Amino acid sequence: MSEPVLSARGLRKSFHSGDAMLEVLRGVTLEVAAGESVSIRGESGSGKSTLLNLLAGLDAPDSGTVLWGGTPDTSASRRAAYLGMVFQSFYLVPELDALANVLLARRILGGVDRAARERARALIASVGLADRAHHLPSHLSGGERQRVALARALMNRPNLILADEPTGNLDERTGNEVVELLLGLCASANTALVLVTHNALHAAKTRRSLTLTAGSLGGA
Amino acid sequence: MPWYLHLALRQLFPTGRRFPFFTLISVLGVALGVTVLVVVMSIMGGFAYEIRHLIVDTEGEVQIVARGPVSDYASVVKRVESVPGVAAATPYARDAVMVKFGDKPAFPMLRGLDLSSVEKVTQLGRYVVVGSLDDLDDDSVILSDQIASSLGANVGDSIEVYSPLIINKLSADAVFLPRLVRVVGILHIGHQQLDSSTVYGTLRLAQDLYGLGTAVHGIDVRLTPGVNEDDAVARINQVLPESIRAFSWEDSFSDFLWVLNLERSMIFFLLLFIVIVAAFSVTSSLLISVVRKTREIGLLGALGARPVHVAMCFCAQGLFIGVLGTASGLAAGFFALSIRNNVVLWVARVTQRQEVLRRFYQFSELPSHTSGSTVALIIVLTIVISTLAGMIPAWRAARLKPVEALRSE
Repeated sequence: MSEPVLSARGLRKSFHSGDAMLEVLRGVTLEVAAGESVSIRGESGSGKSTLLNLLAGLDAPDSGTVLWGGTPDTSASRRAAYLGMVFQSFYLVPELDALANVLLARRILGGVDRAARERARALIASVGLADRAHHLPSHLSGGERQRVALARALMNRPNLILADEPTGNLDERTGNEVVELLLGLCASANTALVLVTHNALHAAKTRRSLTLTAGSLGGA
Repeated sequence: MPWYLHLALRQLFPTGRRFPFFTLISVLGVALGVTVLVVVMSIMGGFAYEIRHLIVDTEGEVQIVARGPVSDYASVVKRVESVPGVAAATPYARDAVMVKFGDKPAFPMLRGLDLSSVEKVTQLGRYVVVGSLDDLDDDSVILSDQIASSLGANVGDSIEVYSPLIINKLSADAVFLPRLVRVVGILHIGHQQLDSSTVYGTLRLAQDLYGLGTAVHGIDVRLTPGVNEDDAVARINQVLPESIRAFSWEDSFSDFLWVLNLERSMIFFLLLFIVIVAAFSVTSSLLISVVRKTREIGLLGALGARPVHVAMCFCAQGLFIGVLGTASGLAAGFFALSIRNNVVLWVARVTQRQEVLRRFYQFSELPSHTSGSTVALIIVLTIVISTLAGMIPAWRAARLKPVEALRSE
């Protein structure tokens, strides 16, 4: 059996809350196989974003391990190639147009050649924004911005995409479109997806649905 | 192009948008500093350059002097002219005199010129505005215009000359008479100090006045173009006896040049503070940028950017502001220099102070000379200071943890 794309074991994370310590994650274990889509639901403050940050290597757990493809290297340089991230607030660079925002992921990985430009254009087209490739984020709607963010996340052909409530700032219809697009693009690229969401309907569209309760992940 | 340079350029000059206000202010601050530095240093350099020009034009590049009078000057001139790199040499006699016209006295230096060789060494003829050097004989002088003006003497007038020798006779209770000479020309060099204190006559006249016989006080030397002055001085000294020494014009005026250089260095140092203050403005606007873009910096980390590259993105913005500010400042500075005389004359005309300007200024025009090394120093220092100005924001940006930056409001 092949190595899981993502493997988290016994993740614990606490934060100071005044004088007290608040234990947000209490030994979370998760494995995601190649091309698999997993959703994580939970109440606000349940630690979903904290878990995603640990899985992305953006934060260090108090204990436990995160392996990407069986290796514990979650450094920034590896993240650029291995992971794509999608956020609730899109986080596009306002000075760059849609195409340049998509290409930024590749620039950070190192070098933009003709093939990279063509891939960025193809991705922009695949999210339905071919005619808006040279528009600045300020000239795009919320749904369009999130589509650009999806294209950027897929730019480096990552093994895994971590999406943190990508529909949180979108209306229901646009949110549904974005999730359909995200699942479709991941499926076609055989990219694993971890989708953090409040929305039960969106969660139901993933292959596996998990719930984070009292700092522990449970299957649904 | 590395992503951090690309992003730095895009943040300073966003696609499809006008020049951002913060960028404009930062660039203008640096440009202003560079403009002032270029203008002031060029004008100060112009004074030094003009002084060199005037000294070389009136006294040659090398001056030969002895402890006392040089008696066999003809053989010294011959030896000096045989030195490689020497174009010509001319003897002179020079001392202080009192000149009197009517009841108006003046106390200039009278310089006796060897008319057969003086124009091979100096460009004095160029500065004679009335008459010419050819009009000089042993009973005539050419006055600088300010001496002529203070005496009220014109060409054709006769003036009395009292030399130190005559004054010595006076102290010995001997009978003495001043030397009566005609004014045959007026000279205007354009340097207030020279124009207010020099009278020119023949070598014979000066020898008579100073009781030198056939001796002279010194010899002026012109070098062939491109010859290094210090090397030529060393070669000349090799053919001269120990009692006679050659000095380059820089050696002869070393104290004056040292003061001039000190002034230039002090002014440069003080004006550099304009660039330093501008650099604080760059730091301040980049710090604001770091605060405004905290979540974008978090995003860069999430996309896999290394902190050192995030830092370089902001440092590069300081560099680009420095480069642009320097280029704009140089352009503005050279433009200001090109119209400097029009501006000065306009101010003098409006304030009706043209005469005051001419009387108190060393030169009749505002001189300017921009040396390549000064411009290079301004460019390097400004760009380095601007880049350093980006270091504090860069350091702050690099220290931001992506997870905290993404969470920031």
